[in-house]
Amino acid sequence: MAGGLQASLWRAVAVFRIAALAYVTILVINNVGVYLRPWLAWPVLAVTAAWTVVTTYAYANPARRGWPLLVADLLVTMAVLASTVPVVGPAALEDGRPTLAVAWHVAPVLAWAVAGGRRWGLAAALTMGATDLVVRAHWDQAAWTGTILMSLAAFALGYLVRLATVAEQRLQAAIELEAATRERERLARDIHDSVLQVLSLVKRRGEALEGEAGELARLAGEQEAALRALVTAPAAAAVADDATDLDLVALLSRYATAGTTVSSPAGPVRLPARVAEEIGAAVGAALDNVAKHCGPGTKAFVLVEDEPGAVTVSVRDDGCGMDADRLARAADEGRLGVAQSIRGRIADLGGTVRIDSRPGDGTEVELVVPRRPIS
Amino acid sequence: MVVDDHPMWREGVSRDLTAAGYDVVATTGEGRQAVRIAAAARPDVVVLDLQLPDISGVEVIHGLAETHPGVRILMLSASGEQQDVLDAVKAGATGYLLKSAGQAEFLDAVRRTAAGDTVFTPGLAGLVLGEYRRLAAEPAAPGDDGAPRLTERETEVLRLVAKGLSYRQIAERLVLSHRTVQNHVQNTLGKLQLHNRVELTRYAIEQGLDD
Repeated sequence: MAGGLQASLWRAVAVFRIAALAYVTILVINNVGVYLRPWLAWPVLAVTAAWTVVTTYAYANPARRGWPLLVADLLVTMAVLASTVPVVGPAALEDGRPTLAVAWHVAPVLAWAVAGGRRWGLAAALTMGATDLVVRAHWDQAAWTGTILMSLAAFALGYLVRLATVAEQRLQAAIELEAATRERERLARDIHDSVLQVLSLVKRRGEALEGEAGELARLAGEQEAALRALVTAPAAAAVADDATDLDLVALLSRYATAGTTVSSPAGPVRLPARVAEEIGAAVGAALDNVAKHCGPGTKAFVLVEDEPGAVTVSVRDDGCGMDADRLARAADEGRLGVAQSIRGRIADLGGTVRIDSRPGDGTEVELVVPRRPIS
Repeated sequence: MVVDDHPMWREGVSRDLTAAGYDVVATTGEGRQAVRIAAAARPDVVVLDLQLPDISGVEVIHGLAETHPGVRILMLSASGEQQDVLDAVKAGATGYLLKSAGQAEFLDAVRRTAAGDTVFTPGLAGLVLGEYRRLAAEPAAPGDDGAPRLTERETEVLRLVAKGLSYRQIAERLVLSHRTVQNHVQNTLGKLQLHNRVELTRYAIEQGLDD
């Protein structure tokens, strides 16, 4: 991930390391008089400074931020920390003098947290903390506090990095979706302005004609409806932002054809994906039923209503209809396949189905699915 | 008067209207021009394509209402751009028809629009129902006299329109007269348009544009 936030975090680690180097230098100058081997302090300080420069440049390049560098960073820092024992000497340490890598030794831990996240950051913090405690050889409150603070910092930083990564991925996905939607909308506009207009015009002018011309006009009308559904519906479906929520309106508008009207509120009707898909399947089954039992030219109307407590979807056709007896008889004979599958699906969602039919006045299937409170 | 940016459509619609005995006083493909022409030509009915190259259908409707109040507007659109249709209806259009509607259906819609009736498609009824529900769910603004509400009967009628029943079928089913059904539908639209005007005025006052 070469994101902007990652680069800033690496810069922050470098700045921390340089500031810590300055602090270490001041402490060495102040305390060098009481060290066991004062002349050895200067080479160690030189190594500290050199490593600060090396890591600052190395971490600046994303290609070099690999495990070799991270492991080397940890080892070099541990070596500098360990050199405290021969240089400062147990007596001075006992006296409460700081180590030769005080504060500076936190830098690789931060680097691990930024590179590997919480777990690796914590692992590095514990390793470095153990080394620190061993070197100090006396375990007072301050020694423990330092290690614990370092662990917490590593954990928090690792967590922050993960959040940043996720945020960046989301942003990227949103940008891509936005671009795709825009392109689709542009296409939809173009198609709308040209092809759709001509197709509906052909349908209109040819409607009254007899024979083949009339048939062509009817075909044009069907194609117009199909094309319109194609350019409008998927765009709306893609906008269903949450992975767990789907827009029922977009889902159902797929069924819109020359003979099927889908009516709905202007805005999206969001439902959990499973609920929306089940309703979609039930509506599909109801429409199939219309196509199977009623003659060609039967019109179907789908209405989506979004009420506070429930979503109501009704599917009505203006076909032949059937009387209540036939419905009951079919149920008795166990051949109520479609109605059964609709009832089953909706019952699973805690909803109810009402089928209403009168001879000569079409059939209406009404599905009511309660909305679960948003938790 | 016919406003449509597609020359073939403009031509076809005008021819149909003339053949049916209407006097087409003007045709144009641009919204701004439509508003200017309407002021001079004073048509009874404007057949308006919602998608015009220069300004939106809603802007055309506002413009028409200003320069030629009382004009009846029948919207046509090739696809159900839902929010656009709803906005246009709230702005004052009284009829809406899909371009895929047949010739007879179109002429009938023009006749009814001219007579002052509202022309709803099932799709539009669904939109209007949804809009009332949205308004009811919305918290009321301070000083608001409340969102418009539908009576039970109006809701019932609107739902049946949305389910594709004709006014005649609705009248039969609810044992009402055809005229009463028509009035109910008209009221649902009237309340929405009134609410929209109130909202616009309040917005203007809040923004200090009411001088």
